[in-house]
Amino acid sequence: MSAAPFDLLDLQVMAHAFAAIAEEMGTVLVRGALSPNIRERRDSSCALFDARGAMVAQAAHIPVHLGAMPEAVRAVIARRPNPGDVFLLNDPFAGGSHLPDLTLVEAVAHEGRVAAFTAVRAHHADVGGMSPGSMPQGATELVQEGLVLPPVRLATQAGIAEDVMSILLANVRTPDERRGDVRAQLGACAAGRAGWRALVAREGIARVEQAGQALMSYSERSAREAVRALGERVGRAEDGLEGDGVTEDDVHVVVTVRQHDGRLVCDFTGSAAQVRGNVNAPFAVARAAAVFVLRTMLDDDVPMNDGIARAVEVIAPRGTVMNATWPAAVAAGNVELSQRMTDVLFAALADAGIDVPAQGQGTMNNVTFGGAGWTFYETLGGGQGGSSRGPGPSAVHVGMSNTRNTPIESLEWSLPLRIDEYAIRRKTGGEGAGRGGDGVVRRYRALERCTVTLLTERRRRSPRGASGGASGAPGRNSLNGKWLPAKCRVEMVAGDVLTIETPGGGGYGRRG
Amino acid sequence: MSGFSVGIDVGGTFTDLIALADDGRIDARKVLSTPADQSQGVRDALRALGAPPGEVTHLVHGTTVATNTLLERTGARVVLCATEGAADVLELRRQDRAALYDLTKHHPEPLVPHERIVAVPERVEPQALVKPLDAVAVRRVAQQTVERTPEVVAVALLHSFHDGRHERALGAALRSLIAGVDVVLSSEVLPEIREYERTATTVAEAYLRPSVGTYLRRVADELVQAGYPPPAVMTSAGGMRSASEAAQTAASLALSGPAGGILGAAHVARQAGIMDALTIDIGGTSADAGLVLGGEPLSESGGPVAGVPIALPRVLIETVSAGGGSIAWVDPAGALRVGPRSAGAQPGPAAFGRGGTDATVTDAHVVLGNIDASRMSGGVTLDAAAAQHAVEALAERLSAPVERVARAIIAAVDAAMARALRRVSVERGIDPRRCALVAFGGGGPLHACALATQLGMTRILVPPHAGVLSALGLALATERRDVMRSVMQRTEQLDRAALAAMCTELADRAGEAVERRWWVHARYVGQGHELDVPVTPDDDGAAVAARFGTLHSARAGFTLERPVEIVSLRHAAFGAAREARLTGVGTGDTTGRVRGPAVVALPDAAMWVDAGWSAGPLPTGGYLVEREK
Repeated sequence: MSAAPFDLLDLQVMAHAFAAIAEEMGTVLVRGALSPNIRERRDSSCALFDARGAMVAQAAHIPVHLGAMPEAVRAVIARRPNPGDVFLLNDPFAGGSHLPDLTLVEAVAHEGRVAAFTAVRAHHADVGGMSPGSMPQGATELVQEGLVLPPVRLATQAGIAEDVMSILLANVRTPDERRGDVRAQLGACAAGRAGWRALVAREGIARVEQAGQALMSYSERSAREAVRALGERVGRAEDGLEGDGVTEDDVHVVVTVRQHDGRLVCDFTGSAAQVRGNVNAPFAVARAAAVFVLRTMLDDDVPMNDGIARAVEVIAPRGTVMNATWPAAVAAGNVELSQRMTDVLFAALADAGIDVPAQGQGTMNNVTFGGAGWTFYETLGGGQGGSSRGPGPSAVHVGMSNTRNTPIESLEWSLPLRIDEYAIRRKTGGEGAGRGGDGVVRRYRALERCTVTLLTERRRRSPRGASGGASGAPGRNSLNGKWLPAKCRVEMVAGDVLTIETPGGGGYGRRG
Repeated sequence: MSGFSVGIDVGGTFTDLIALADDGRIDARKVLSTPADQSQGVRDALRALGAPPGEVTHLVHGTTVATNTLLERTGARVVLCATEGAADVLELRRQDRAALYDLTKHHPEPLVPHERIVAVPERVEPQALVKPLDAVAVRRVAQQTVERTPEVVAVALLHSFHDGRHERALGAALRSLIAGVDVVLSSEVLPEIREYERTATTVAEAYLRPSVGTYLRRVADELVQAGYPPPAVMTSAGGMRSASEAAQTAASLALSGPAGGILGAAHVARQAGIMDALTIDIGGTSADAGLVLGGEPLSESGGPVAGVPIALPRVLIETVSAGGGSIAWVDPAGALRVGPRSAGAQPGPAAFGRGGTDATVTDAHVVLGNIDASRMSGGVTLDAAAAQHAVEALAERLSAPVERVARAIIAAVDAAMARALRRVSVERGIDPRRCALVAFGGGGPLHACALATQLGMTRILVPPHAGVLSALGLALATERRDVMRSVMQRTEQLDRAALAAMCTELADRAGEAVERRWWVHARYVGQGHELDVPVTPDDDGAAVAARFGTLHSARAGFTLERPVEIVSLRHAAFGAAREARLTGVGTGDTTGRVRGPAVVALPDAAMWVDAGWSAGPLPTGGYLVEREK
């Protein structure tokens, strides 16, 4: 015991202090980043870790980063960092998620040792590979998707390793933007370091470390209490992805959930072996999905830290889509398989009698246009599932994403595209006591020749209702009124009209 | 000759009045608010002042009538006419969900439901009018609008920020076809790109106009009849407008009261020679953090009020649910928590003796002796025993000493407020350590030292009449009218004559002024966020681009080799500045330097000077509290 022991009276104070550090890292990142994907869509997350690599606080905009960042720190610790080293990584099989997510991890120096870690993950607009944007459809090997970076020292206390930076910049399509965004990430790491040091100066290292442990224990207690509601019940659910980008065949996804000593055990054994296309995911994504699902079962103000992850155990055999191994391609797994993971987790919890919402749209509806000298990427919202508390929201991102839309006026002002319709897709949410939320319809008219790539899901399999509620309507893609597959790449000429109709959410309970 | 400028700020609990004499003397009054009819509290405050109406030369009102109408959803029945194919804009919002983890949470309902939206068969595109609005369509739209029995009609069509012909034509037709119904056009309210924000702001204006107008007319009539001058009203942008003009820009009153506080803070800071400051206004249920740069409140565009996005210029304010009435409790996991629930005005903290039994932040201060129970204003006497009792009950559950629990309660709200102060500064590239902290509101001076310490700040300004500073800001407010127009041009396309012509056009629209300011909303091509860049009619595009680059570098830390695009031009026309020289009347109970730890009772608040800090009275009244070397 130190002179000023930490107790639960100060928990809220220290929760604010840690959260403020992560939040400020996020502010510095967004303020400094060049690319719209980080600046406007905020596809990024920042976190603070203790000396052993346990996450103390996170500022998350994107749930898919949620439980995945600790893997990055773990991978760095395995490289025996010196105090002050900053590592760069994106290798999905060594702490990363998919290649566009470049992650920086700084080993914070304090009195000659590594006393904490700061980590900053951001989705970059391009990291090389076979197609602009590094989110290719049809990739079958990781190396096709972009430059692969295992944890490497980007900076030491001596300064930036320009050699590493030059390798990165030589392998991407937009080096200036990448340099700017990586600089912003370095700035965010530095802000985290400064914030942590200021807190230590104010409170003392012993108290800061005690407070970190106490906060994690506190969140863990809340999480375990929520998990114990499962009792001895076991839930199981299965579902599938509609093709892997190479073939149209279903990719089977199954999970069993049970409670063991206050831990949520999520066992994905039985899911498909890893596939040729790029809907595979590294193990970190499955962890992120499980942590996200548990987090939705807790009150909004429970601090987000490693305590919640400690109440989760994920089992996914190596070599399956859930725990793919090198050289699997993974770009779409992070955006679409992750959605299916949360779907089956919720369905399995419902199967075990836990009151969770019916399934939401279960896709991010990734739409990428590319023309002469321009590219445009967006994702579209849809219906959230209904719940025992009422109808599901309409026209929102569900599950592992939460990025904003592009205003019609902004899009038309800067691109040779017109939006003929952007509307709520009425009555597409499943009927029920709590209706599913409605999807949207977005109709794009091309003013000139361009290519469009679709990475979508829930075009064949509807989002399911729960407790007697009806399924939501599946989504639909079409070009000039003619049906298109869930994942495809098509050419458009001036006057062509692409229509994306996103799925409605499942209904909850029988309509009274 | 003698005369008073009077500012009256209506808050949730108290209505505050400041009377500022021509010689700089200040008189303050505090009466209970009258939520059923705010104007009652206004009259009560003037009666409490007791000055002959004829001696009041200016009267400025900060009102919560617009805010309350939004919060309580009691505004007008609005019908919205929107472009066919894009008419669901209010429901679609920006597609992000209401809460990251609570999947059942909904955004607040739009102010106009689906059934009251009329699709208009027309289409304007960036360079072309591709689907003309014909007379038959206009009549059909008018018919459908009438069937929906509007009190006010809002019209918001795609790309009208740039080409408002369809909106104007439809507006004129609706006015002539539907007698006695006000029609609000988005191209007049907010001619700026991004349909969701423009439509939502236009609908808010339509929704608020009748109730705001009715209230302002009643207050004005009553005051004029009683012999007072016609009142002016504070806008969210920190300027005042006549009540009759303000009724036509109702949505610009959404932050009327809080804007007054930051304006007052900026004024006292300037008089103390402080140009850059963070401000914290701590009230009963919430705390507002703000930023003063170069001696003026930082104002920006937009941000939601009560879940309704209103993209008009407003003084930057970040509100946290932490105030004197925030309730302390023990959660199921055994941790002490404070807020977000508040005891509010009724029953209020236990110390108010109105039946409250929950321990609040105010009770913690009473227990620690930070507030002198015998010296509260506003008709409240403090019940120290009740406060002690409430905190004791909590201490028992936590098995901790009472004083320790009281300190922990205060530390918890301090942490929440420090985080808000960091956000307003760091997000704008401002290092809080180079700013002073202006602390006001009933609780500001009590928390200032702790906040400054957490933020590494070394100077605190506690204004005279810290408890009623918003009213002082109102009494000092300058008249201000805001107008804007869309530009949508790159700076390299913009020559001096073109910019000057646009500036002149806006100046003509704004009318007479003593001082004028223009600024552009600009961004690098391809960006989705704009910065406000000051311009003058003498600038050319290159000068604007250079200034944009400097600002971008300060805010974001870098510049780009990309063209700069001007989205819109904005103009503010100011009346005569009303720089009053405050005098020391109204200072607290000491005239010498006070070294911490010490409690100083102020006329309408209490100040805590922490160990390691010392407070010196200012010639303007109030204190400068400084960290001792």
